[in-house]
Amino acid sequence: MTNTRIPAVRPRPAPPSAPADRPATRDRRTRLLAALFLAPTVVGIVVFTVVPIVGSVVLSLFHWNVIDSPRFAGAANYRELAGDSTVLVSFRNTLVFMVLAVALQLLVALVLALAVNGRMPVWLRSVFRSAFFFPLVLSAASISVVMKYLFNQDFGVVNWLLGLVGVAPVPWLTSENGAMATVILVYVWQQFGFSFLLFVGGLNNVPKEVHEAAALDGATGLRKHLHITLPLLSPTLLVASVVGIINALQVFEQPYVLTDGGPGDSTRTVVMVIYETAFEQLRFGTASAVGVLLFVLIMAVTALQFRLSRRFVHYQ
Amino acid sequence: MTDSHLNRRALLRYGAYGAGAAALAGTAASWDRLTGADIPGRDDGSLVVATLGPAYGPAAIRTLTEGFRRVHPDIKVRINAVQAVDWSDFFAKILTQIAAGTAPDLVYVATEGVQLFARRLGVPLDRWVKRDAAELREYFADVHPALVESMMYEGSLYQLPVEFNAADIYLNNQVLRRAGAGFPAADWTRDDFTALLRDMKQSSGSRFTPYFWTNRLWGGVVPWLFANDTNLLAESKAPGGSWLWDTFYPADRRAGRGGGFRWTTPQADQPRVEEAYDYLASLIQEGLCTRPEGGNGQNLIGVFSTGRVGVTPAGGFWAGGLHLAGMRPGTFDVQFFPRWRTQRMQFGAAGYALLRTSRRQDEAWEFIKYAARRDTLTRLFETNQTTPARRSMLTADRYAESGPAHWRVFYDTLDRFPDTAPIPAPPQVAEVEQVLLKHTGTALSSPRSVRPALRRMQGDLEKAMERDV
Repeated sequence: MTNTRIPAVRPRPAPPSAPADRPATRDRRTRLLAALFLAPTVVGIVVFTVVPIVGSVVLSLFHWNVIDSPRFAGAANYRELAGDSTVLVSFRNTLVFMVLAVALQLLVALVLALAVNGRMPVWLRSVFRSAFFFPLVLSAASISVVMKYLFNQDFGVVNWLLGLVGVAPVPWLTSENGAMATVILVYVWQQFGFSFLLFVGGLNNVPKEVHEAAALDGATGLRKHLHITLPLLSPTLLVASVVGIINALQVFEQPYVLTDGGPGDSTRTVVMVIYETAFEQLRFGTASAVGVLLFVLIMAVTALQFRLSRRFVHYQ
Repeated sequence: MTDSHLNRRALLRYGAYGAGAAALAGTAASWDRLTGADIPGRDDGSLVVATLGPAYGPAAIRTLTEGFRRVHPDIKVRINAVQAVDWSDFFAKILTQIAAGTAPDLVYVATEGVQLFARRLGVPLDRWVKRDAAELREYFADVHPALVESMMYEGSLYQLPVEFNAADIYLNNQVLRRAGAGFPAADWTRDDFTALLRDMKQSSGSRFTPYFWTNRLWGGVVPWLFANDTNLLAESKAPGGSWLWDTFYPADRRAGRGGGFRWTTPQADQPRVEEAYDYLASLIQEGLCTRPEGGNGQNLIGVFSTGRVGVTPAGGFWAGGLHLAGMRPGTFDVQFFPRWRTQRMQFGAAGYALLRTSRRQDEAWEFIKYAARRDTLTRLFETNQTTPARRSMLTADRYAESGPAHWRVFYDTLDRFPDTAPIPAPPQVAEVEQVLLKHTGTALSSPRSVRPALRRMQGDLEKAMERDV
């Protein structure tokens, strides 16, 4: 037996421990601070988004003409919409407008962004960027008033210019197809600047090395754009298309000023129907019902876009 | 694991935060700041008068407020000039104010809104008119009964008309000369009108439009319906009104007058309506007039004054407009709307409607009377921006500077054709107008489109008229 004494293990002095509640307090304080910073936005969203949405849903169940007290109507407003040809046509017009306007807007913006992103003096690039973005900061209503003059069939500058080269007057705003095409043209001219800026930003984020590697492998300009630029730009394209579609589904000023929905109903959009039903016919319940349907449509289209984007959007 | 219980120190700290927040909130609440009540005139006992903004410039507003103050120093008045594109936009904004609890006492209302306001919002003026009959005799003697009748609804009077405009035809004298055509006779016919348009077209270039018309309730297709002795909605008269006619108008001038117009039954698919549309479609096909959607009043003065348009329907308001645009007397003139089956014409009038919500109804009535006085209207309508409702105001002096030479046409439209009537404006007028504009565009897209478009118009009008406004 050895007399080796095993030294007694002395417990190490415990490190000075923080008070038990300190991390929790820090967490709570962080959460409180975050809540304080978020509060104005949350209040804004609740007051200006949630309350009106809920208000519209509730109002869509009532008959209300502003003057008298609202009367409960149940689903009567929705039943009325089912048989209202103007409402149905307005949804069709809005969807047609959305598809054509957004497609054209993205195409124009992308082509111009690629062009501006090419070899070009910096000052000229700035000029183009400003010029393309400029229409977006103007009021849609005032632009539409000017365009109405320019596209007037009898006295407009556009037909006058066409007349100089022997083209007969075009019924830009007075034929069914011409009116929709002109409204789309004016809308795209004003709106493409936003997508254009997004694309310019997106193109700057495409790594040069990838292009250089592709060039070494013998890829040509078009192939590089199709197989490298576009896939890498797809997140930007998703954002631009989501914003573009939501805006297009709510189009109002351009058709309202340019054509007042005509000829017939050919350019009447859903938001125009909401405005006319509420503020001209004083049927706020019915107008709210149309608004609820538009809300559902926008939600559905946006959800579908995000769903489909899983297949087409590539993140680096 | 965190301790969910607050210790004493934390409790004190949160208590201090709470007290601080309460103190801040209290300070903010008691801070002297602007509220809706600080808007000049709101809740200060002023009589609030809503007018269609563009028609009332600062000088007109001064005329009304300062002039009224001189007559009634005890009544404060505030003019609320509401900016709006047209009457339906104006009514929408007024209704929004009413919904917001800031209803004016008086609203300037045109024919388009007379029945809507009368049915839902207005106060009949009958008791005040009866009370002040002696004072008002001079007014009614000066105002055509057709204008007064257009402000009646179901036997009661809701407004005193202060202005009106009939759809007469303006002609560009330069274009007439170019076409070698003389000034048309007062009883010219629809065929004379068509022949004149053809002459104008022949003598001018391809980029000339003989007849410019706009797609709207007033001055659009409706005057052609009147001339063809029909209307969009079957027209009848409400009983009553004799309390007014017997008091203020002699027997020959009150004959046939009733308690206001009733427009109840749509008749857009009737043959005479179709005939009027067919006529306009033929003018479009022949290149003699604009398509309805092509034109609007905004660019009309420009193209008319530069000789790119020959004729257009417009009221007395255009005399002032053309003058301001630089057209001198002698360069344009005005004639009655051409005869078809009849030469009955259409007009639109306007006056002040008193709202039920007003707490100053007696003061409001004083303002209505003041606004209809001859001296007030003379100062208000200096620039011939409209046709005054008072016959005595239409004098050679008034039109010497602005023209036209045949200025008598403005009031003679009523005097020579006493069955001239207001545009069809039932309480559902907004929807009626919308339906009219929509289907008129479709109807005139080709000659074959007229009948199907009118059938659809009829269906939509029936639905609109069934709605209780």
